[in-house]
Amino acid sequence: MKLTRRKRNMALITLTPLVDVMMILLVFFMVTSSYLDLDMMPMVQSEAEGVAAPAGPAPTLLIRITANGEARLRGQPLTVQSLATALQDAPNARVLILPSGGANVQGLVSAIETATRAGADNLRVVRLEAPE
Amino acid sequence: MKLKRRRQPPPQETIVSLIDVIFFLLIFFMLVGRMDATAPFEVSPPVSTAGETLPKGGTTIAVAEDGALALNGEAMARPALLARIRELRAQKPGLFVRINAHAEARLTNLLPLVTALEQAGVEDVVLVVTPHPA
Repeated sequence: MKLTRRKRNMALITLTPLVDVMMILLVFFMVTSSYLDLDMMPMVQSEAEGVAAPAGPAPTLLIRITANGEARLRGQPLTVQSLATALQDAPNARVLILPSGGANVQGLVSAIETATRAGADNLRVVRLEAPE
Repeated sequence: MKLKRRRQPPPQETIVSLIDVIFFLLIFFMLVGRMDATAPFEVSPPVSTAGETLPKGGTTIAVAEDGALALNGEAMARPALLARIRELRAQKPGLFVRINAHAEARLTNLLPLVTALEQAGVEDVVLVVTPHPA
């Protein structure tokens, strides 16, 4: 005897769960991502791409950052103009930044920015030792 | 005279267009945002227009205004953080570390840390800045 199975209707694939999942993913990415526009300044660079040490004794320009965050060059407030003039007199001079430990990060970053604007390419920050 | 307007059947609302829009939004937010571990404290990076483009990825050290530290979003003290960095450095020699320091943090909390990172053998350390104040 042959029993014929009754044909069932194909189950309809509903799109609603797909929309739900995508909605959850959308909310997840919107909430967890950060949308700040960020840039960077190098602090330590590998020797391969670092600046080669000059052969002779190079002149040094010292920029001090005071405890309240002001940058000073030769006792005068640091400006792009003053550093550019000083660099014209000594084209391959090293620029050293000597920060006070009490200055804040914004002060250091502003001084580096001014020095970069003035065209200093051999720029070093004197690091402070860790207080024990 | 009153004219009877023939009633039109309401157009079928398709869910497919909704899916399309949500899909576009999803891709948009995935591309625009960056998935970073956020520090457990407030960090607003210093403002500078002289920064270079920040590459993706890397290990993030956050420095709070009062000098508290966090590694990849997890608050930890300095010795533990440096030990963890040494471990990571051993696994991956070209480790890229970015320091996300609060603009008002004192340099005594930042510069010795950079020196310690360099002594730990990290060759690529950058300071995160933002071109626009928040």
